[in-house]
Formats: sequence, structure tokens, C-alpha cells
Amino acid sequence: MTDMPRPIPNMDDLDTAGFFKAAAEHKLTIRTCTQCGASYSLPREYCRECGAFAMEWKEVSGKATLHAYTVVTHPVHPAFPVPYTAVLVDLVDVPGARMVGNIPGEHHLEVGQAMEVWFEHVEDGIVLPQWKVAE
Amino acid sequence: MSRWDHRDACAIAGIGHTDFSKNSGRSDLTLATQAALAAIADAGLVPADIDGIVRSDYDHVSHNALADAIGADNLTYWGQSGPGGIAPSSIIGQAIGAIVSGQATTVLAFRELNGRSGARFGLGGSDKFVVGGNASYDEFFNPFGLLTPAQMFGLMQQRHMSQYGTTREDLAAIAIACRNRANANPNAQMYERPLDLETYMDARMISWPLCLFDCCLETDGAAAVIITTTERARDLAQPPAVIRASAHASGPNIQPGQMFPALLRDSIIELPGRHVAKLLYERAGLGANDIDVAQIYDCFTITALMEFEDYQLCERGEGGRWASSGAIELGGELPINTAGGHMSEGYIHGMNHVLEGVRQIRGTSTSQVEGAEVCLVTSSPPPASSAFLLVADR
Ligand SMILES: [Zn+2]
Repeated sequence: MTDMPRPIPNMDDLDTAGFFKAAAEHKLTIRTCTQCGASYSLPREYCRECGAFAMEWKEVSGKATLHAYTVVTHPVHPAFPVPYTAVLVDLVDVPGARMVGNIPGEHHLEVGQAMEVWFEHVEDGIVLPQWKVAE
Repeated sequence: MSRWDHRDACAIAGIGHTDFSKNSGRSDLTLATQAALAAIADAGLVPADIDGIVRSDYDHVSHNALADAIGADNLTYWGQSGPGGIAPSSIIGQAIGAIVSGQATTVLAFRELNGRSGARFGLGGSDKFVVGGNASYDEFFNPFGLLTPAQMFGLMQQRHMSQYGTTREDLAAIAIACRNRANANPNAQMYERPLDLETYMDARMISWPLCLFDCCLETDGAAAVIITTTERARDLAQPPAVIRASAHASGPNIQPGQMFPALLRDSIIELPGRHVAKLLYERAGLGANDIDVAQIYDCFTITALMEFEDYQLCERGEGGRWASSGAIELGGELPINTAGGHMSEGYIHGMNHVLEGVRQIRGTSTSQVEGAEVCLVTSSPPPASSAFLLVADR
């Protein structure tokens, strides 16, 4: 287990890499249809709402509310020492958009509480939008 | 042709399984072969009678490998479903479709895995350096520390407890009911190992609030069933377990990927099983109140709890309180997982639930529900899911 490298996102995928490239510039983005405004937490090129192939990476605020959390105590990967608190958040300015993150240590939170983004530098060129309790 | 033409048309005529263990010492192919031969013999058939094979997309053994191994030399149909634990009920639906449309007469459905000694679940893409791409969407979960099913179900359990006041004692009632049934089943991995509330409450946390006893086992083993027409099944070796109706359904917001994208649905504690239930009961002309016994897919206690609500066995939000009222125990309103389920019999990815459903209809379960004539079998983890209803031949 000790030689397992930390999982990092694929930076070449045509549908999704733009999210992580924007994160490397400390921008939180969501794939959004330029024709009808529909947004997709899991990016793709086709808008099922209006039929357009016309997406953009729309920058959004890093404000969110907590949807659920779990305190991971069973170790499965050396890059994620336990305990850590995995969080699921709802973006405030994009209804229906949801993202995940983790906070080192054990934290007991409240569903609905305010969360905010920060940017974790994993390695050169690999930056993850992460979530913490809003200050 | 109406969409209900499959009602009562087919039956499960044979069941077979291997031992369930932590280390089978046999290949996946050997396990699949043993379960298949046992099911064929149980039905009073020979391998040459099998003209269709359906499987889970997670099986290592292909339909052609198994056909070659057992000597099924006249295959006219094959298929698969998934991901993973959606398969058992879903491939039985495929078998019915093949039979009623004339593409096959006698279909073998199987699931095999060396789930403990071989490739274990739960590391997702994390043993690879680069994750995601090609519409897997793993890059939005694994790099953020979401790696295992237990972590995802921990999120769901926390949300259900927060939203509806469900308690750990409620979830314990599910784990203990399943364990009590396993304690009566000599083939169960937890046959002689009782579980009480105190032990559950003191258990080590895996992904709080989800503890060790909320998790299914990891199992080496295989299970298989034979589906044919009800008419033909009446002439075979066992009383037919008639498939009243079968359904798969996604509902809206199906989500891509294997598992984690289900966390992006509007509600993370209502699963597509609720769409399956509606369709299944409509097709069957039966409702939740008609069910005598149920085999509920239970990769975690919270999965079973959500299905209690999705399948209308209790009110939405009341799954925990319903379970801890004693409803799911033998002698209760609706006994569940009478062989022990995934948490205490073994984790054959929903296929062992199918076999136990058949035993209840035959009257041969080690925890037989007196006079059971209608059994619900679900294969309803978070992805688009499936279920069917078995009834006694009348
Ligand atoms: Zn659009």
C-alpha cells in the first residue's frame, strides 16, 4: 500500500480537463451551456436541455452549503491518512451543482452550513478545488 | 403485444451455488462452472439443454468461457447487465425477454467472484496514478479522497440520519436481522457467529456514521439459476418459482460512471429503485402489501433501508424506525434476507438473494416464512436498478 501514488485527475480528457486547468489558475468553473444556461457538474459537450454543442467554462463563486459528510476512519490509501472528513457540497450560485472535497481530521459538521472553496496544490500543474467550513 | 406479456410466463427451475468463503482456492472459472452445473442438475437438465447465458458485467468469466467449460454447445442468446450488483434481477429480465421472444428456451444466469482472495472492491481507480477520463468521471471523486463504496454510503447514511432522525440503533436492527437468519443457514459465512446490539454499537467505524457491521462481507463464491418457461418448468425436477414480473428502471438523472456520480442526484437518499418498484408493481398487478418475504440488496445497511422506502414497504423517511420495530425479523410484518443477505450469508453481488427467493417459494429456506407465496428480490444499489417478484405456481 505504501507505494501507491495519490490519484490525480486525467489532464488530457477532452470533456473534463478544462475544469482542472481552470483550477490551476485558482478559478472554480462549471461547464455551462452558452445557449440555455444549463450547467453540468460532470462536464460534457452536448446540452441535453436545449440540444446545443456550445459549452463554456463558466467561473462561479466558491460559496456552497454542506449536503452531507462522512468521517473516514478506515485507511485505504497512504495519500489520505485517516481520519479525514469527506464533504459533499451544493454550490450556492448554481442550483443543482454539487462537488466533493475532503478536510484533514475528524470534524462534525451540520447539513446546510456554509462552506467555501480553496485550492489545493497537489503537484506541479495539478490543483484541486477543495472545500472547507466558511470563515 | 402488451408490455405485461411476460407476467408469469417464465420461472426459475434450478438453483446452484458453491460454498461461500474468504479463500476459495479455485479460479473464477471453476467457481462459475460448479455453480452452473449445480443449477442445471437441480433443474433436472444437462448442459446441452442450456441455450442462453446471461451474466454481470463484473464477472471475469465470459458467457463463451462458461459455455465452453460446461459443454453448452448450442447457445442462441447471451447478454449482460450492470454495473455490478444491478445485474442479478436485470439479467433475469433479459432471460425472460429472450425466452418470450423465442431467442432461447433455457437460460443460465450466473455471478462469480473471488471477492476476498482475488480482486477486492473498494480501491476504485486509486491504484492508478491518473484517474478519470472517457466519461468515467472518476477524476471528480478519487483525487478528493472518495475511494470506496463505504465512504459513499457513509455520506448517504449521514444525510438520512440528519434528514429523518434515523439512528444507529435503527441500522443495527437491519444488520442483526440478517445475522439472525445467517445463524440458521449452514452455508452462510456467519453461520455460527451471532451479533447483538452492544457489539454493533461498539464496532469500529469505517466511515462515520457507518461502522464495520453496516458493511457487507467480502466473499469468494458463485451462484447460478436456470430460467425457462413456466409451462416447461412444471415438467422439470423442482416446483417452479414463477416470475410474476420483472423490471429495470433508471428514472431521470441516471448519472454516468460506476458509482460515485449517484452523489450528484437531487436526493442522495432516494434511489432509482423507487422507479423500479412503481413499474414492477404495475406489471405484476401486485403491491407492497402482497409481499410475504423480501430479499433486499444489502451492500450496506443504509442501502437496504433506502430500498424499504423505495419499494414502498414503509413510508418515506420511516425505514429506520420500521426496521427497528421488528418488522423485518422472522415473524414480523415482512421478513427480509432469510439466508443472511450480503452482510451475513455472503456477497455474491445480489445473486444469492435470487436463490433464496426461490427457496422461499419452494418452502425450503432455513428460515422459511410460513405460507410464503410472493417474494420480492431486489438488485438496487444506487445506479439504475432492477427487481422482480417470484410467486408460487397456482
Ligand atoms: Zn443548453
